[in-house]
Amino acid sequence: MMAFARHEWRVLARSRVTLAVLAVFVAALAISGWLGATRAAREQHTLERFEQRVAEQRARPVSLRAEAVANEKGGLALLPPAPLGALAVGQSDVYPGYLTVTARRLDALVSGDQVEHPLAVASGPFDIAFVVLFLYPLLIFATSFDLTAGERERGTLRMVLSHPVRLADVVAGKLLARALVLAGPVVILPAAVAAVTPVPAAPAALGLSLVIWTLAVLAYGAIWHGLALVVNARGWRAATNALVLAGTWLLFAVVGPATINLGIAAVYPMPSRVAAAVEARAATEAASVQGSQALGQFLQDHPTSANIGQDGMRQFAALQAARDRQMAERLAAVTASFEAQLQRQQQLASWLSVLSPAMVAQGVLLDAAGTSTTRFEHFRAAAAVFQREWAAYFEPRVLDAATLTPADVAAAPAFRYAEAPVSAMARRAAAPLAAMALAGAALLWLGFRLYRGYAL
Amino acid sequence: MRGRASRSAALAIAVKDATETWRDGRFRWAAGLLFVLVAAALAGGVSHQSQVARQHADAQQAERDVWLDKGDMNPHAAAHYGAFVFKPVQPLAAIDPGLDPFVGVFVFLEAHKQQLARHRPIEDAAPTRRLGLLTPATAALVLLPLLVIALTFASFAGEREQGTLRPLLALGVSRRSLLAGKALGALLPLAAVLVPATLVGAGLLYAHRPADPDVALAPRALGLLAVCTAHAGVWTALGLAVSARARTQGAALVVLLALWFANAFVMPPAAMAVARLWEPSPSAIEFAAAIADEKDTWPTWDARVERVQERFLDGEFESTLAPANIEVVALLESEAQETALYDRHFRGLFDRYERQAAIYERAGLAGPTLPARLLSMALAGTDHAHDRAFAAAASRYRTAMLTILNRELAASGRLNTFDYVRGRDLWEQVPPFDYDAPRPAEVVRQRWWSVLALAAWLAGATAAAVWAVATMRVE
Repeated sequence: MMAFARHEWRVLARSRVTLAVLAVFVAALAISGWLGATRAAREQHTLERFEQRVAEQRARPVSLRAEAVANEKGGLALLPPAPLGALAVGQSDVYPGYLTVTARRLDALVSGDQVEHPLAVASGPFDIAFVVLFLYPLLIFATSFDLTAGERERGTLRMVLSHPVRLADVVAGKLLARALVLAGPVVILPAAVAAVTPVPAAPAALGLSLVIWTLAVLAYGAIWHGLALVVNARGWRAATNALVLAGTWLLFAVVGPATINLGIAAVYPMPSRVAAAVEARAATEAASVQGSQALGQFLQDHPTSANIGQDGMRQFAALQAARDRQMAERLAAVTASFEAQLQRQQQLASWLSVLSPAMVAQGVLLDAAGTSTTRFEHFRAAAAVFQREWAAYFEPRVLDAATLTPADVAAAPAFRYAEAPVSAMARRAAAPLAAMALAGAALLWLGFRLYRGYAL
Repeated sequence: MRGRASRSAALAIAVKDATETWRDGRFRWAAGLLFVLVAAALAGGVSHQSQVARQHADAQQAERDVWLDKGDMNPHAAAHYGAFVFKPVQPLAAIDPGLDPFVGVFVFLEAHKQQLARHRPIEDAAPTRRLGLLTPATAALVLLPLLVIALTFASFAGEREQGTLRPLLALGVSRRSLLAGKALGALLPLAAVLVPATLVGAGLLYAHRPADPDVALAPRALGLLAVCTAHAGVWTALGLAVSARARTQGAALVVLLALWFANAFVMPPAAMAVARLWEPSPSAIEFAAAIADEKDTWPTWDARVERVQERFLDGEFESTLAPANIEVVALLESEAQETALYDRHFRGLFDRYERQAAIYERAGLAGPTLPARLLSMALAGTDHAHDRAFAAAASRYRTAMLTILNRELAASGRLNTFDYVRGRDLWEQVPPFDYDAPRPAEVVRQRWWSVLALAAWLAGATAAAVWAVATMRVE
């Protein structure tokens, strides 16, 4: 078999089609890799700039009102760039990489929206994940729609098989050579991009992420090679193979996911934010109006803000906190039921996605890259812990209407993001990886089995 | 005489090709699948659209009731109480949801702060949603061209390979008639699928038409149909041109599939990548920080009041303004400054978006699909220009609301800002939020480049087909 692979390799190296395919593939990977590395470098730069800014603000030698520091400014939680963010934009153009926390009960975790042109989010990124998910399968088909059909038509296959060799070995050699041609760039280039991108991640964790990424890419490739083999084994002409494979690609990479998404939208619609906003408004209305009236009454009783004194300011802070607490309590139920429903729908939706190899692969690739929704959820959870520390430190001071010394400000809790253990990601990836590998192996097995009946 | 013979020959070719295609089981499968997909996308689109549109309209009504019934309070407290405005959903979003899933669905309008529309549906969607959604527009602009390719790639290359091209031309059929016949032959079987699909779509749209007669549904829908038809026309001409030039039908197929892939999948992200290299977006935190930094340089509330007091003592204000209104003056001034700040930053961001979109749109000249998609979104009322129009309307509404509430404070002449309570009569003076999407003519004018690009592609591809057939090898 290896002899056939070597021979096939030499044949492929002289084929103009193969060289063109390879050139397109390498160019696409290189361009998307370069874009990714540039993006990652910019993210890293932004992170460093804002980390420095936070440090400078804490070190400023001025006394400030507790309310201003704790709530108006708030604490900044910054998410470092993802370990392999250069390889996949993932959800990072949807979720922002920062959160502001306050010591309030209401608006405790404030996130701005990610600032990105909606057209960019809709068009999707031109990143390595895109090249892997869409172009790689297409090029697998482009190189292997004619494994044996052409040689059979020209009669050379019969000639080869007149020697003491098995058809299966010939086919395996051809398959292996083609797989290697494409696997080379698709493994090496992303690894090179990851290696040159400076990210604040432990090398071991980074290595494991890259290994899982690569395994996912190879398993995904195996599925498409398997599909190509099965189609080839049916014994059609090369042109028919090409058409059937183009249709297969369309079905599995484009129409499948798009139809599954349509199904998800129809069967498991996400709860409506609009309805939730109306509900929240209704739930908090009484508390909000009542709170506003209490605050208004207070201000009415203390006409000039200049001389209400420390006690007056304490009273005001207490009134404000009471209103916030009441509103937050009423809001909690609405938010909780919304979140629960959202989670349930997403859970259900994720079941439908196992039907598409592109969807399964996308899940593993983004998870390995660190730009999946999972990492943003982990960040949010970490920011929520930070918020509790922030509130514990500042709430008494705000209620006391205290003025903070520089030392007080410097001693305030600071956010430090701890990456979720990479082993957790590996465990999540294990099942989909195994499923993809199994599907690839099954298709390859089926292909070879069908080749037994291949009519010369 | 010769012309008529040629025409009838062309018709005969068309009928023969169409019949062959129709009898081909593979075509019936593919066309049937396309029909099912379009029907599913239509059903999904219409039901989702009408549900969301009703939700938003109901929410706007509920919000209005809440605003009116909130009881007596200080006008400035009412400004803090704020108002939600929900983005009205356009009826043609059922055909092309466009950017709707990627932009916020409502804005909260309040004193001192201005926000971008929040809660883009994509944030709540399953991550796999990023791989695309089947909509009638994607079916028409992505899947349909593929069927067109399948029907045209062999038109000339196939006849040539089978050696039937020379006898065909020997019959005295002019090459142009042959081209016309082949084009018609490819489009007739397609029409058998597309005309019913269009009728179903039109019926569904009509059944779910909005109650508001101001919504220009028909012109927009017809425009959408014209764009999809023109786009399919471009691909028919391209398919025939490539088929006439290609050495073999296999080569024709490969070239056309590569063109299709580049148009449907590579160009949108690639064009946006170029646009963002040219005009990088700020990150969310940079955008927020720029606003916060500027606010930091402003005087505190107490300092502001003090300064107004000084100006009052300097005799800056007219005598009718009571001294106790100093806080009101400070409030109005700070409000104006805040509005100007947010307007400037948001305008800067939207202008940047616009420049990015302009580059994206210019890149659309490289292929027919990008301009067609931009036009389809624009006509459906779901593109970035419509989003900006809504954001601008929301911002204007906020200014109007604050102006009414603040004017009332200023006119009260009360001792201090908070010593003044108003009720429903004042809340009623703030009109309900009313947003009309831009007129269809305006929409087309905004996307003139895409109109031009698609027209150029239609003319160019047709000319290319005529030329390719006129100069094609017969054997």
